[in-house]
Amino acid sequence: MNLHDDPAEAAFRAGLREWLRSRLPDDDPSRTWSTAQLREWSHDLSEAGYAGITWPKEYGGQGLTAAHQAIFAEETARAGAPDHINIIGMNMVGPTLIAHGTDEQKARYLPGILSGRTLFCQGFSEPEAGSDLAAVRTVARRAEPDGYLLDGEKVWSSYAHLADHCLLLARTGPAEPKHRGLTCFLLDMRAPGVKVSPLRQLNGDTDFNQIILTDAPVGDADVVGEVGRGWSVALSTLAHERGTFGVTLTARLVAQFDRLLRLVREVGADGDPAVRRELATLHARLQGLRYTGYRSLAALRRSGEPGAEASILKLEWSLLHQRVCALALRVQGPAALLDSGDAAWQGYWQRQRLRSRANTIEGGTSEILRGIVAERVLDLPRSRQ
Amino acid sequence: MDFALTDEQREIRRAARDHLERRYPATRVCALAEGPGGSEAGAWPELIRQGWLDDDLGMVELALLAEESGRCLHPTPWWTTVALAAPYARAAGEPLTVPATFADGAPDGAAPTGAGTVRATRSRRGWSLSGQVPAAPQAGAVRCVVVRARTEEGPAVFACDTGSPGLVVEELSTLDTLRRMAQVRWDGTPARLLTEPARTPEVARLARLRGGALLAAEAVGVAAGALDMAVTHARQREQFGRPIGSFQAVAHQLTDAYVGTELARSLAYRAAWLVQNDPEGSLACAQAVDEAVLVARDAAVRTCETAVQITGGMGVTWEYPLHRWLRRALWLDAFPGFGDDPHGRVAERLLRRDDAGGITPTTLDGR
Repeated sequence: MNLHDDPAEAAFRAGLREWLRSRLPDDDPSRTWSTAQLREWSHDLSEAGYAGITWPKEYGGQGLTAAHQAIFAEETARAGAPDHINIIGMNMVGPTLIAHGTDEQKARYLPGILSGRTLFCQGFSEPEAGSDLAAVRTVARRAEPDGYLLDGEKVWSSYAHLADHCLLLARTGPAEPKHRGLTCFLLDMRAPGVKVSPLRQLNGDTDFNQIILTDAPVGDADVVGEVGRGWSVALSTLAHERGTFGVTLTARLVAQFDRLLRLVREVGADGDPAVRRELATLHARLQGLRYTGYRSLAALRRSGEPGAEASILKLEWSLLHQRVCALALRVQGPAALLDSGDAAWQGYWQRQRLRSRANTIEGGTSEILRGIVAERVLDLPRSRQ
Repeated sequence: MDFALTDEQREIRRAARDHLERRYPATRVCALAEGPGGSEAGAWPELIRQGWLDDDLGMVELALLAEESGRCLHPTPWWTTVALAAPYARAAGEPLTVPATFADGAPDGAAPTGAGTVRATRSRRGWSLSGQVPAAPQAGAVRCVVVRARTEEGPAVFACDTGSPGLVVEELSTLDTLRRMAQVRWDGTPARLLTEPARTPEVARLARLRGGALLAAEAVGVAAGALDMAVTHARQREQFGRPIGSFQAVAHQLTDAYVGTELARSLAYRAAWLVQNDPEGSLACAQAVDEAVLVARDAAVRTCETAVQITGGMGVTWEYPLHRWLRRALWLDAFPGFGDDPHGRVAERLLRRDDAGGITPTTLDGR
């Protein structure tokens, strides 16, 4: 057991911290990044050797450990760095292609994902397939001689308006049981029959998109894994998301909590006993979340699988983030009524307060996650047939 | 960074669990809870033989033993010995191998509940103590009481055997009968000096860190033990033709209890490791201990309450053993031995105005 960085980790952290300090001198949460700036940021990360940290070297990655990925998450969150614009390509599509893709697919897509040149989105959720993902209705009809035509609707797809390609789940075997007749495809977002429109969220932002597919073509060469085995490919994509994702979320929340402390001092709420008690509880649970993430990374390193603890990270993260944002508005008193340019921090906390409502829904609802923990960790009998 | 138990630590935990499960099934624990002293007389030699009092046990190892003790409510004064008394004996370079506890007869600041007044005077024959402490844990079941007492130069720490002249121990009716409080009175009782007044504040501060980490570890075990009982019950108990654990309303309560227990476990192990590896007990270490205490206490109480809810009508009977775990959780939640207000201290460290940006949640543990 060692809770400090080992020498290689410490050097990586120090180098990264220095690099970030030179580029992002202040953490300014109200800063907005244009798409061009985000592309440039991602390009710089890649040039500096901070892209594909855990990817194997043979695919152009850094070949480092999940602990390095965690350090990257912590230091970038601390510096207020934005998401890599190709976060879906980097964290989900890339590892999925490394595991299931053909040599041709790897050669075609991986370098562009790493450099930030080729942007990816993901087409899993649908209006009728949310928590019950295997219920997807998007149909892939055989189009001889060498492809399929896609028809259907995908929702909650981040970056779809910018993406070049989409990792997509569609039904190739309509007569087969629901988990079987599914196939994973790589769709060219510029193909005919692909229409992207923004989904406006309750806070007014448009982080997500709807994708309407009307006879959109994909080739046999665009199938990931085997035809009819799309469900297991999708599960492995989601598993990659769970591996270090919880640690990344936690690192951001630690930085967010630092901002909350700053706000509490600014508005003079630091003497309020109720505020102090809530801060202490949130901070302590947040540290508990953080160290539970480290335990899960240690298990990942030993066995290749994140430990049972990993399943609780997103669940607890979402609840804590909602409480952090709620407290941030509460300490503002009546000033919390204002928004945008008239509010403190240009309305940052108002946006976060509303945005955080989605945290217990997106990426697995809390109800689904509790069900997973109940069945797989506590070994309770299944609640559904 | 490698936050995982070593093979040796896993082995210590397995051996501890084997020993405790064999020797203390719930029925036996319940019987002992109603017997004299609320603990098993004669268990000590076996604990020594199994290495539970070894001098070279690190804090993580002790935390694992405390966790396993909490899981089955280990009915001996082992926890008061290692968590309360041993840190003082250790600072004095004396290994402590008899059952012991700690009584605070010279509290600093506002006197927490359970603290009293004890005066130490020195004569040609050595030190002697007079005074009383209204409530010291397990004092009726131990052979040595470590006591902080006032001297003319300030508080100092002493040890005295429970058979010493003038020492009277009176057991009090206690919420957790497996960890009874007792009033202790000294009247010219001879005592051995463990720590000089000059060193006492620092020794007491470090002792509280060790004790706090071990309180958190025991609370994790209490939560884990109650959760086990409730989960087993939810798998077996059938209503409406199905095991009740298949109902989401039941399963999700157990899941939330599991989440709280796992967060507490991470914090308890981290606190133990930091206390071991930061012998000066820096600010970061003190913060980690307080975090562990407040999350683990909460996890123990909530998990025990959830477990009672899930075990239903059975869970609220005297015969069903679960209330013993709930009582221990409430005991740990109320025990003031390490300062009364961990929330207040955590908030204070987070919000101190003189912090020039050096202490923030992200940097507090020096990473």
